[in-house]
Amino acid sequence: MSEPIWNEFLTERDKAVFAASGYGARGGFGKRPALLIIDVNWAFCGDRPEPILESIKRWRNSCGEDAWKALPYIRSLIDKCHEKGVPVLYTTGVRREDNWDAGSWGWKNSRNEEDRRTVVTNLDGNEIVTRIAPAPQDIVVLKQKPSGFFGTNMASYLTLLGCDSLIVTGTTTSGCVRATVLDAFSLNYRIALAEEGCFDRSQASHAINLCDMNAKYADVVKTSEILAYLDTLPAAMFDLPKGTATAPQGQTQKRAVHF
Amino acid sequence: MIDDFEDHCWKDIVSPDILEIYSSYKRNTFVGPAPALLAIDLYELVYRGGPNPPHQISRDYPSTCGQYAYEAIEPTKRLFAAARAAHLPIFYSTGDVRSTSRPALVSATKRVKPSIDAADYAIRSEFKPQPGDVVITKQRASAFYGTPLAAHLTQLGVQSLIICGESTSGCVRASAVDAYSHGYHVVVVEECCFDRSVLSHKVNLFDLHHKYCDVMRLEEVLAHLVGHPAVKKAS
Repeated sequence: MSEPIWNEFLTERDKAVFAASGYGARGGFGKRPALLIIDVNWAFCGDRPEPILESIKRWRNSCGEDAWKALPYIRSLIDKCHEKGVPVLYTTGVRREDNWDAGSWGWKNSRNEEDRRTVVTNLDGNEIVTRIAPAPQDIVVLKQKPSGFFGTNMASYLTLLGCDSLIVTGTTTSGCVRATVLDAFSLNYRIALAEEGCFDRSQASHAINLCDMNAKYADVVKTSEILAYLDTLPAAMFDLPKGTATAPQGQTQKRAVHF
Repeated sequence: MIDDFEDHCWKDIVSPDILEIYSSYKRNTFVGPAPALLAIDLYELVYRGGPNPPHQISRDYPSTCGQYAYEAIEPTKRLFAAARAAHLPIFYSTGDVRSTSRPALVSATKRVKPSIDAADYAIRSEFKPQPGDVVITKQRASAFYGTPLAAHLTQLGVQSLIICGESTSGCVRASAVDAYSHGYHVVVVEECCFDRSVLSHKVNLFDLHHKYCDVMRLEEVLAHLVGHPAVKKAS
């Protein structure tokens, strides 16, 4: 394996401690995975690829260019899962129009009130970006807090599908991805993080959170290796939703921008 | 006219009008794939005072289910034997007896002065946990609430539960509804559940059967378990 991206942020003592403590062992893939795509919506990507410091002028939560770099990797995983009949689950936010239910989010960000306004006309910040928009058979879990499990039916869906493991992508690595991975770990799911499919607004946080999760909760794996693993699975193992012609829950029909 | 779906202990108290309202719930009942046995609160406290009508002994033994607890012993022994023969994972729940583990007002029900004597919450000897069984200690009614039960079931690949124990209206119902909400297929075994109140027992089984679970008679469950492929432990 090439040098992990977090090594440049670690001290020599850190590296020695990880090497000596036994953490970071390979947990391994499961037999019945689901693909999980955390919060890859307009609010976290912006409506077009531009440098993050530019993007966050309009989209306070944007991760800028790094989000758009991750999209092809996420797309490739979605396509492979669709080909194999592996469940694809998305999370995204849901909020009252008056933003009252932002709750604790308002305590730590001075721009929280901006969520009451529309950044781009006809574009809902919580809508999954077009490039990786959910297909009719995919499952969209709406949430209000960092973890995709908190206050949602996520665990119930995974039980119904008979999943034993998760492939996780999305954003932010240090926020909702980590919170979701931690809850999945606590529920005894095996977890692989697709490294190039995760992103964060902070480069240091991205690297160190991948380091932490790889050490304790999950395997940080290259997308190409996950695709190769998915190729080894039998097709049509899961009883997936049949889907309908209308957009899945959480996806509005309005689309102001297309790429 | 009562058909098989309604041929259960509640049939003497549920009127034809009510059955008509619930007629759309009629369906086939079955033990689901990859089942585990979940035995709710089969602890000594509910057997105190012997096999007597609860109202005659409840002054001295406020938690007892009396004769109803004893009537369920033989059927429940048969259920355990079949579950062990089929190599099902076996889970128990019981009360958390650690005196420092919760604030004074936290308890499974609103009963006055709940006991916290460890001997009261030992599993009844007829159902003594065996090596490899899992005993979940809980503070509230549901065996899922504030416990790692769902995590254990995920790791074992369990997709269905067979539930027995007490009380039907309290911890059995709470656990069965949570199991349903977690996405498990749930069977509640009629003769292996009990309550201090016969009326509550019947009405709660009626509710569970129609809305959340398959209430099945012991003989049906035993027939399903014979030759049932055991759940394989996660490799």
